[in-house]
Amino acid sequence: MAAPCSRMANRPLWQFITNVRRTGLKHTGVRQISLSSACRAATQTRSKTEGVPSPWKLYGAVCLQRLPVISQERNPIEDQFAELMHQMELERSLLSDHEQRLLEDSERMTRKQADNYDSDEEEADYGGQETITAQDQEDTWEQKLKHFQPALRDRDVGGTPLGSVERCLGDSLVLLVQQTVGKETIWLLPQAQWEAGETLRQTAERGLSSLPEADFKATFLGNTPCGVYRYKFPKEVRTERCVGAKVFFFKAFLSAGSASQKEPFLWVKKTELQGYLKPPYLEKVDRFILNL
Amino acid sequence: MFLVLSRQTAVPTNVSSLMGVDGHVSQGPWFASVLTLKTSAPLRAEPKKKKKVDPRREQMVRERLKKKLKKLERVPPELIPIEDFTTPAKYMDETRVRGAPQLPFEESERRALLLKEWSRYKQTQHRAEMEAVGLAVEAQREALEELRLESEELYQAALRPDPLLFPFNHQGPSYTPPKAQYEAPEGKYNNITKVYTQ
Repeated sequence: MAAPCSRMANRPLWQFITNVRRTGLKHTGVRQISLSSACRAATQTRSKTEGVPSPWKLYGAVCLQRLPVISQERNPIEDQFAELMHQMELERSLLSDHEQRLLEDSERMTRKQADNYDSDEEEADYGGQETITAQDQEDTWEQKLKHFQPALRDRDVGGTPLGSVERCLGDSLVLLVQQTVGKETIWLLPQAQWEAGETLRQTAERGLSSLPEADFKATFLGNTPCGVYRYKFPKEVRTERCVGAKVFFFKAFLSAGSASQKEPFLWVKKTELQGYLKPPYLEKVDRFILNL
Repeated sequence: MFLVLSRQTAVPTNVSSLMGVDGHVSQGPWFASVLTLKTSAPLRAEPKKKKKVDPRREQMVRERLKKKLKKLERVPPELIPIEDFTTPAKYMDETRVRGAPQLPFEESERRALLLKEWSRYKQTQHRAEMEAVGLAVEAQREALEELRLESEELYQAALRPDPLLFPFNHQGPSYTPPKAQYEAPEGKYNNITKVYTQ
């Protein structure tokens, strides 16, 4: 938009100059000056869009999520429905092999206990083998199951610290770190400033790996940023060159990692983000953190 | 007589000196063979030209074999049966049928109401999911817009697909969390699935 304006301004100016030289009138000089200043402004804006770097500082941040490890607790309605489904499936099904065996065994028992029991006939049918009844098998299976002790589902009843990865196994957690931005230390998603020659995703990876005393192995989901947060610096810091900063967020899933408990890390659920992030930041970040 | 003998004795020398044999010489050493079987006669005849006939015969044999193969191949291949679509005979047995229960009126009512409530619950859940996904997509679109305003180069780098992402594997949530240092018991199994070849 700036380019055609400046071109249009140039031509009449040149013609004006030649006219002035020819006529030598003074009052046209005033108009000439004003036109030239407008032309200069036009050329300035044109050069800004082409060569001058943008006034926004770029940051790459990573939204590292630990996906849930166990299934969530059922709602009461989900419980009822699951029971109903199980009941209906049982009613509509046929007898399985195991159930048939159970029935046959129970019939055989009743026949054995009856008065007119002919053991020779029975043994002739089954070849006189020692048969293991289905009921016995069931009992042995139950015994085996009792020997196995699974890990407990609800471990955080004891109250695991917020910095531990093991808390709230049923929900997906997001990593928060405390960093100094400007004058204050605030909780935010780990970020790093963009340097020339690298893509924003590499910036985000650098931001994650440069966290002190923590090695997280994460898989980044693609090269595209999932969100952006744009903010202007306070008026004292603002210069012509940098008006503010844009933070681009990248999503990643945690595959393996550990961190010492000393460093200020937080693993928070989506509902708990409100207590740590600033409102405008939270507004932008909340959109792409899915609780699904 | 003497002359004949001399001629008889003289001729072999002549024959041996001569190279090519043109005519049918019935004298000299061949005289003995004339009485016996004419085994050497073909040796002296023009050699048979076997070059064309044999290759032709072999070619004919090969063509016949190829035609037979083509006839066999024209038969369409047997279709592999899908074992899931055929109910095995043992499940058609009548003894397997469970007795159909007679539900009281309250029970059937309760079931119907529960199903309706469930559909309402699932609908709200679905709407919430769709909304959340919509917000996430909108956030990504805004991010790409802002990036484009910043620099075209970074924008193009962001649009490039990541070849290392797929295949992506992740263990989903289980009912109980995994035990640290748990050794699963080893087991053997016999795979009895039928493999068909066409």
